[in-house]
Amino acid sequence: MKIEILGSGCPKCFETERRVQKVVQELGLQAEVVHVYDLMEIARRRVVLTPAVAVDGEVKISGHVPTEDELKAILRE
Amino acid sequence: MLWELIRAGLIALQDYIALHVVTCLIPAFLLAGAMVTFVSKETIIYYLGAAAQKLKAFALAAGGSFFVAACSCTVIPVSSGLYYAGAAIGAAFIVLWVAPAANILALTYTGAILGSTMVLARIFAALVMAFVVGWVMTVVFRREEQARLQPVAAPSNPGQATAPTHLMGRADVILLILLVISLLAPNYLAQKGPYWAKVLVWGIATIIVFIYAFWAKPKEELKRWMGETWWFVRLIFPLLLVGVFVVGVIGKLLPEEWVRTALGGSSVSASFLATILGSVSYFATMTEAPFVDTLMKLGMGPGPALALLLTGPGLSLPNWLAIARVFGVKKAIVYVVTIIILGTLVGWFAGNFLF
Repeated sequence: MKIEILGSGCPKCFETERRVQKVVQELGLQAEVVHVYDLMEIARRRVVLTPAVAVDGEVKISGHVPTEDELKAILRE
Repeated sequence: MLWELIRAGLIALQDYIALHVVTCLIPAFLLAGAMVTFVSKETIIYYLGAAAQKLKAFALAAGGSFFVAACSCTVIPVSSGLYYAGAAIGAAFIVLWVAPAANILALTYTGAILGSTMVLARIFAALVMAFVVGWVMTVVFRREEQARLQPVAAPSNPGQATAPTHLMGRADVILLILLVISLLAPNYLAQKGPYWAKVLVWGIATIIVFIYAFWAKPKEELKRWMGETWWFVRLIFPLLLVGVFVVGVIGKLLPEEWVRTALGGSSVSASFLATILGSVSYFATMTEAPFVDTLMKLGMGPGPALALLLTGPGLSLPNWLAIARVFGVKKAIVYVVTIIILGTLVGWFAGNFLF
């Protein structure tokens, strides 16, 4: 599983990354977590509102810092 | 000497923060948090990307920017995201300009410190500049735009199969209005009275806001609202503290005479200098207001002050570089030059005919 955090390097994006890391650990997932800073790449993904979280290339969350429950829900799928 | 400077910084901190935290900053942060939580950004952005008519897209971009981003760190991805999602270049650059130059937090704080005339001038000038910038970008890059937008005749949005129609519910609108009242009431109704009168007005208004919120909104949303509000506090408040301290120190360092000759009156050169100063240096949202206040006390004219208020948060050197990286050097140059020319004109015009 590949989890990408799309963010411009803002504090909200780092908080998102921290929560993703935490949830991944809690669930014991085998996942690669990447933080994408490149604005061109973010735009190419058609993400307008950062922070966004993409799982295996598909954008699942955009525009707010997800709660841990929210992350658990999308990562359990 | 060093002690003197630190003391000046601390006095500035005491003045601005103590007088503004309760009656101005708290309601402003609550309002910004509520906007992020209750106004559907997705809806605004969807229609912005889809708006075919230029004028409609421009108006939407300018109006929506008051809501979309109250924090400057999010505006470049929003604007570039819109652009690459198929929005017209004019609309994308309007968002880039209006969101930092006239967002709700900055406007409130400007009002509390510099008065309502300056706020109205700031809103009006930001909007006029936005439309001119949008128009200039559209005209200059019209060939490129034609080529870019042709393949995607109808902007497709794979993430959203159906158009979102929900902008905000009725309870959200009422709550936002109540919040605006709680923000304006203490700062305008009780402006002349003693400080405790302001706090009293603020207290009553805030209690009403929360009674309504508890009655009308589900707990889950209230929690998100508080979460978003806390984000604004955490992001902006430290910057504001540092900013105000630095402003206090600079106010002590700058010779009054220098300010009066370089930035006083309402000449074109004073306006131009203020615009350049604002365009190059970085001001975190809200810090521009105390800075301008300090300079005005030292003798800066109101016209140049307006120019600095607009370009200070709207443009900065790091901001130029980011825009150049995302949109290309040519567009960045056209944008920056247009803003500098407009800022100078607005400052000169306002100084001569408005104030």
